[in-house]
Amino acid sequence: MGAYTYSHGLEAAVEEGAVTRRDDLVAYVATALRDGAGRVDGALLAAAHRALAAGKARALDAVAELGAAWRGTPETALEAEAQGTAFLNVTLAAWPEPRLAAFVARHPRRIPHAVAFGAAAAAHGVPLRDAAFGYLSAFAANLVSAGVRLVPLGQTDGQVATAALLPVVAAAAEAALTADLDRIGTASPALDLFSIRHETQYTRLFRS
Amino acid sequence: MSRAATLPSHQRSRGGASLRFEVARGATRLADLHQASPMRILFPEPEPGEPPLAALVNTAGGLAGGDAVEVGIALGPGAEACVSTPAAEKIYRSLGAETRIAARLEVEAGATLEWIPQETILFDGARLSRRLEADVGADARLVMAEMLVFGRHARGEALHAGSLFDSWRLRREGRLVWADGTALDGALREPLDSPFGFDGAEACATLVLLAEGPLEEARDALRAEGMAATILRPGMLILRWLGRAVPVRDGLGQAIRMLRARVLGRPSSLPRLWTC
Repeated sequence: MGAYTYSHGLEAAVEEGAVTRRDDLVAYVATALRDGAGRVDGALLAAAHRALAAGKARALDAVAELGAAWRGTPETALEAEAQGTAFLNVTLAAWPEPRLAAFVARHPRRIPHAVAFGAAAAAHGVPLRDAAFGYLSAFAANLVSAGVRLVPLGQTDGQVATAALLPVVAAAAEAALTADLDRIGTASPALDLFSIRHETQYTRLFRS
Repeated sequence: MSRAATLPSHQRSRGGASLRFEVARGATRLADLHQASPMRILFPEPEPGEPPLAALVNTAGGLAGGDAVEVGIALGPGAEACVSTPAAEKIYRSLGAETRIAARLEVEAGATLEWIPQETILFDGARLSRRLEADVGADARLVMAEMLVFGRHARGEALHAGSLFDSWRLRREGRLVWADGTALDGALREPLDSPFGFDGAEACATLVLLAEGPLEEARDALRAEGMAATILRPGMLILRWLGRAVPVRDGLGQAIRMLRARVLGRPSSLPRLWTC
């Protein structure tokens, strides 16, 4: 899915000196999980999972529409859409499923990753709690991996960061289970500003 | 009946205001107006070359917990208007209930609306739930900006307790094109002080421009002034600010002036309400 090409604004935060140590990286990813995309993605994932499992196609379409419109910045929107499209292509090729195929046919190339993941997990009987934990831990691991390359940090520091983030991932997954999509919001405008400034960063390894 | 149930609760405001502008006899004119206390709409004489100006006034001076106000602004096809406020909106400390604000903007085909109220100040302990919705028709243009201040900084007050839920939903020709939201509750200093949350900012602001046609030149001009401007999708530009209250307000005012001149074809000035 090319996750390794996205840094979710972290590349700008490193460039500007806001992330220089392992603790900064943990704080960055923890904020993204707890107060940023993790909060919104968790809620979208849970709503998509429930809608597909209940056979409510219109509710699922509304989740896809909301997810596609929820774009803090162009680069984080690209991150969500490109990975969602790639994830669905692979999933439908390897594990075809009619409800998921019908959903994708209704929204070609505009299902964000979290919505795609939630719907696919429900289509294949993966419980919601496991799906939310899996998605958010992959999000965190990918950002840690980006941080290890960008700061740079040693592999051991990367593992220590991942371990430190485990309880944050677990709490974000629990929050996703009770989130109300009608009351969802972030509390991380600084991350959006890093992502906006990343667009004009002179040297860039990452697409976001 | 228990004694508590017989006691009157604090009287709270449930007000609102709505208006509709239409083009008639070659000019934008007021076609409909409703107002319920504490909201009033005044119509100061616009400067030469300016479209009609509507000033939303809260005659109560601020909003408390349990207050609810609804504002509706509608522009018929081709109409042009600017909506602002003569002063900052104040959200007082709540004893528990949320203060609720709902604003609904309808900008029909070919119309141009500026929704540029002055800042909203959250007093320590305020609990604000605000929902902003806009529906924009074909070839219509919308500039929509909001600034929030976290505590009465002029008095040295910061925001420690309270809550904020702020929701934005923008539709173009019926299709949801932007959803955004801020949600803060509980121990507010943690996200407000976090370098990756609000980074200790006194204030934040967001400006959205919906306008068909290329916006790259406007974006680049704003960036050249050091502003965080980006094109979220074709025909949609956003800017965000985070920082001390005075520079956030100055930056927002400068961006409005630049977009007026570069995109809307209006004078490069702010409504006098903003500056006097």
